[in-house]
Amino acid sequence: MDGARDPRSDETTEQAGKALAASGVAVRAAGADDVVAGVPPRWVALPETAEEIAAVLRVSEEHDLAVVPVGGGTKLHWGAPPSRCDVLLDTCCLNEVVEHEAGDLVVRAQAGLTVEALAEALAAKGQELALDVPVPGTTIGGLVATAIAGPRRFRYGTVRDLLIGITVVLADGTIAHAGGKVVKNVAGYDLGKLFTGSYGTLGVVADATFRLHPLPPSRTWAAASFARPVRSGPGGDASEEASAPEAVRLAGELHAALAAAAGSQAEPVAVELDWPDVTGPATVAVLVEGAASAERADAVRALLGPEARTVGERPGWWGRLPSAPPPSRDGARAETDAGRDEEPPAGRGETLLELRASPSRVAGALAAVHVTALETGTPAAVRGSAPAGVVHVALRADAGRTARFADALRARVEAADGRLVVLSAPPEAADGLDRWGRVGALALMRRVKERFDPGGRMSPGRFVGGI
Amino acid sequence: MSTLERLTARLGAALPPEAVITDPVRLRTYECDGLTYHRATPGVVVLPETAEQVAAVVRLCAEFGVPFVARGSGTGLSGGALPRTDGVLIVTSRMRRILEIDIAGRRAVVEPGVTNLAITEAVRDQGYYYAPDPSSQQICSIGGNVAENSGGAHCLKYGFTVNHVLALQVVTPDGEIVELSEQDAGYDLLGAFIGSEGTLGIATAITVRLSRAPEAVTTLLAAFTDIESGGQAVSAVIAAGVLPAAIEMMDALAIEAAEAAVHCGYPPGAGAVLVVELDGPRAEVERQFTAVERICRDTGAFEVRVAASAEERAAIWKGRKSAFAAVGRISPAYIVQDGVVPRTALPEVLAGIDRLQDEYGIRVANVFHAGDGNLHPLVLFDDSVPGEGERAEAASGRILDLCIEHGGSITGEHGVGVDKARYMPRMFTPDDLDTMQLVRCAFDPEGLSNPGKVFPTPRLCGEVPGVRKGVHPLVEAGLAEQF
Amino acid sequence: MDPELIKDCVHCGFCLPTCPTYVLWGEEMDSPRGRIHLMGQHVTGTPLTGEMAGHFDACLGCMACVTACPSGVRYDRLIEETRAVVEREHERTPEERAIRAMVFALFPYRRRLRMMRLPMALSRRLQPFLDRVNPSLGAMAELAPPPARPVRLPPLVRARRRRRARVGLLTGCVQGEFFPQVNAATARVLALEGCDVVIPPGQGCCGALSVHSGRPAEARRFARRTIAAFERAGVDAVVVNAAGCGSSMKEYADLLADDPAWRERAEAMRTLDLAEFLVELGPLADRHPLPISVAYHDACHLAHAQGVRSQPRALLGGIPELELREIAESAVCCGSAGTYNLFQPEPARELGDRKAERVLATGADLLVSANPGCTMQIAAAVRRAGKGEIRVAHTVEVLDASLRGLGPGTLGGAARRARGNS
Repeated sequence: MDGARDPRSDETTEQAGKALAASGVAVRAAGADDVVAGVPPRWVALPETAEEIAAVLRVSEEHDLAVVPVGGGTKLHWGAPPSRCDVLLDTCCLNEVVEHEAGDLVVRAQAGLTVEALAEALAAKGQELALDVPVPGTTIGGLVATAIAGPRRFRYGTVRDLLIGITVVLADGTIAHAGGKVVKNVAGYDLGKLFTGSYGTLGVVADATFRLHPLPPSRTWAAASFARPVRSGPGGDASEEASAPEAVRLAGELHAALAAAAGSQAEPVAVELDWPDVTGPATVAVLVEGAASAERADAVRALLGPEARTVGERPGWWGRLPSAPPPSRDGARAETDAGRDEEPPAGRGETLLELRASPSRVAGALAAVHVTALETGTPAAVRGSAPAGVVHVALRADAGRTARFADALRARVEAADGRLVVLSAPPEAADGLDRWGRVGALALMRRVKERFDPGGRMSPGRFVGGI
Repeated sequence: MSTLERLTARLGAALPPEAVITDPVRLRTYECDGLTYHRATPGVVVLPETAEQVAAVVRLCAEFGVPFVARGSGTGLSGGALPRTDGVLIVTSRMRRILEIDIAGRRAVVEPGVTNLAITEAVRDQGYYYAPDPSSQQICSIGGNVAENSGGAHCLKYGFTVNHVLALQVVTPDGEIVELSEQDAGYDLLGAFIGSEGTLGIATAITVRLSRAPEAVTTLLAAFTDIESGGQAVSAVIAAGVLPAAIEMMDALAIEAAEAAVHCGYPPGAGAVLVVELDGPRAEVERQFTAVERICRDTGAFEVRVAASAEERAAIWKGRKSAFAAVGRISPAYIVQDGVVPRTALPEVLAGIDRLQDEYGIRVANVFHAGDGNLHPLVLFDDSVPGEGERAEAASGRILDLCIEHGGSITGEHGVGVDKARYMPRMFTPDDLDTMQLVRCAFDPEGLSNPGKVFPTPRLCGEVPGVRKGVHPLVEAGLAEQF
Repeated sequence: MDPELIKDCVHCGFCLPTCPTYVLWGEEMDSPRGRIHLMGQHVTGTPLTGEMAGHFDACLGCMACVTACPSGVRYDRLIEETRAVVEREHERTPEERAIRAMVFALFPYRRRLRMMRLPMALSRRLQPFLDRVNPSLGAMAELAPPPARPVRLPPLVRARRRRRARVGLLTGCVQGEFFPQVNAATARVLALEGCDVVIPPGQGCCGALSVHSGRPAEARRFARRTIAAFERAGVDAVVVNAAGCGSSMKEYADLLADDPAWRERAEAMRTLDLAEFLVELGPLADRHPLPISVAYHDACHLAHAQGVRSQPRALLGGIPELELREIAESAVCCGSAGTYNLFQPEPARELGDRKAERVLATGADLLVSANPGCTMQIAAAVRRAGKGEIRVAHTVEVLDASLRGLGPGTLGGAARRARGNS
């Protein structure tokens, strides 16, 4: 640890360390594995209850310590690096299912519980949390903080739509609840929504209560491949032209397949596009769940084109974030397989973008990814729920190209009223990047942050506008 | 010249003359919303036609420190649009244009005064609809739905307003026009704003999600001799893994009222009726229907009817949807409650309500969204009998206590408003309420936007937590007469 | 303004979207809920102000709110009582008084109406000038249908098949004078369906106009005379083909409630709308194909005041090859509303334009309605929109054409002929 990072005196630090130790909460010195997006913390606190979280936060307030909450650590490299970080608040010891009343289709779980462990407990009662969390090892707290969602967002929405109650601990140690354990409830402000996707900047999530769904009795996928997902030349509609002035557009049959699946009365729960390299072929896969799923999936298959088929098993890529294709511009195509094997774990080293657009303009946005990849010489992969208007883009390139790619794509997407967010980027690429793009109500967000965390100590600097 | 008079004199510059109401007789027609128990004549009423006009009025309010309240169609059931006698009532009933319909994008942009049903009517021909369906959908405004996060019978399967609103244009309490969008990175202020009951600002344009109309809809009416067997049927349906679009229950008294009002023709002698609606792909609906019908018969339904046509479906729903107002036929006055309990606690809570009827000597008609445990007990009383109103009020409070005791909520869809603010401390701790106040203070530090609603003991935003003004909101408002 | 009736309103607002003036202006005090609130204010001591009277006058009396109300509020009775109070307590401007006096001196009297026909045809050309003098005069001129050939009906038309009923026919003032062919068609259809039709020559105005305008004494006088005329005819039922007349006659017992002898006589008289009666009787005569598309317009006094919505549709739907189309916002009034378009010409015109737009959107060949006022109102609005003459017919004219095997070209021709004449 180099002293230059922290201008405070050793004495102050020592006092803070003592106070943390005296709080009764398990605290250890931070190690090399505890680094948050390149910033090393000084201590790691391991609270076991909401009250212990509160104790850590009260000490942190007294001693002006910056706190970053962490769960599985799977997305700790997401968002901007914290401007400072003293305490890493690890929720791993809060890992229980607090309450699961199957007859009510509701579960309350602690923040440190992994989604896999939760799924196992729920499956025993024939139920599930209908969010396909795309990053394995994600905890409930991390799920809420990043609001990450998977294919079935098309039918069930995201965390905000299934979260019905929350317990949070504020920067000053106040423990607050909102919502409850009933699905239908409009009493008071919905703090759960406010904390969803807040990246740990408003406080620490202690536990969360979700609405559940019965596990579907059967699942069937319909899928189709598209050898040429884009076309050049005129013929696109006006919305596409705005984002792709080069007159590259999504192929009509692909566009039609996505739209038809999304509008099908067979009611698919997910419509996913997988485009592992935006200069190559793409696949559309549609999930139909529940009664008569095979029959209904067959109806969807008919909409996807003559080559489409139905399958009883999920495609291998289903419900995972895309991986960047290898940097092939420099004749590296041959290394593809070997290159993949050497990928750093959990997508580190690559840049992950989230592209959001109205479903009526998402085709134009997809074409824009293709154009941007060609223009910047940066291969990119796209995967996500195109008809829900959210797809992820993965790329791996040097800092300059990454920034050029993100800037060029954002310009095109925002011109069509969409948004581009940089979820994660390698540290060397991060400096030149605007992570968040256009945000309509930034001034209001700052005011919210000031009220919840007037000292600016909760995951400082990690969020929009430097919040 | 009072502050309000000085403000009113400036309204002429912001609004066309016919958009400002100051005549006392006219003002009084705005004294209450759908909950007539609380009344206050607004200081002045404005009827803006654009977001800019709303913003101009709000800026004047901010300048003069005058409170303002937004009102849509005035159908709310919690007094959320109760005016301030010292304030401005901003009525959105002239902002009723549908600004954009984008079928390919499955969304529409509408002004706040557009009625809920008008959206569905505008897109029905293209095979789409707007999913949330409060019982008052033919008149309640989308702006009001946003303020209250309205639900409806079909929210069991499809969710609430907050799940179907994609973006808002909002006039903040300082008079700025701001866009809140689900697309934007950052805090989910859209989610926080929806359901904030007008305390964070006024929505002036709403982007709603349009849903694909289901391929098949089957509506079934099952009659039971008593409410317990109806309740068993509900539990069994859920346990079978079926998620109906709606499961609604009415007890004998509610049936009597609906029958008197709309002649819905429910089976005679029923102690409870269950309305179950299944929708979705035809193949799925058919299978689920077989299961639900069997469950109803197994749990003791003595008659099961299936709507064979759109007219029959409408007839079944007519009885349910008009139930609140229909109670006016069998009782001179009533209080509607909106408590929620976990579904598994329904039998216990209903038995508890039964005991309260005896204890307080009043009648309670039960209408509820059985699928999500949202009760609508209608506490009947005669306001011309001295003391009966107070007894009904006390019984209503006890019903809410029952809901809280069983892990539920004091309101599932009507909102807290002015009516249930005093029950908030029974459901939330002081810390919970203080934390919610942080949001309020971020949006509205001066506390001008619909003050006196939602929170029982408003505190100035500069105050230190823990130091509360012990003034009741009605007293604080100073002005709401209680009838 | 019976306080008990006022109390029935629970303030739910379900009436708002069906109220024509709320649809136009979006103001609480121009909605039924708001007007009831104003009545409540007056009953509890607020004097009748000019503003209040203005909001009551603006009510069309279409009764769409009565249909929409889940609490069963008797707004129909409330507004009638209120109009009487307004007439008693509210001082109108001299100009308003003059127009009202003219209308009430004219419309309920067939002979006076007949004398007016020529001047009205003339005044069509003078309409722009009249509009400037007084919008009500302009409206009257604009609405006037072309002069119709007088049709004389005999006092008795015998059944053309085995007799199933003996009915009386109310010929109506406006119907009789401006649309005599409707009465002729009514008599023919009834006869073809096996009814003896008695048309008492002594019948006059039924009193609807007076009752809807807060003139109860005058209304009672007309009611008593009508009852006496049909008593003498000795019929099973009185059949009415004009919606406004039918709805008032069904409420004679309420109107005459203070006079037990007359109330009893009123209760003894069975009044039915023509469509209601024909559906109840059941079809016997052959329906010949009539290949035409028809937009059916719900007259408020039929749909809302009498609850007759399905029967006219059933009659039209029973005609082979006839295609029935629904008009959007069918529950909202066209703005005619009895004398409303004469006293409140501006909102009446706005509502007429709104209705005409929706009628034209159906693309139907023919507009069908059971009320002469509606037909005149919508036809005038279509004319204003520059869409020429819309083909209009009464339900019974369509049925008559089918029973007699006439072609669709015979329907709605009067208006076109008139254009040729003018």
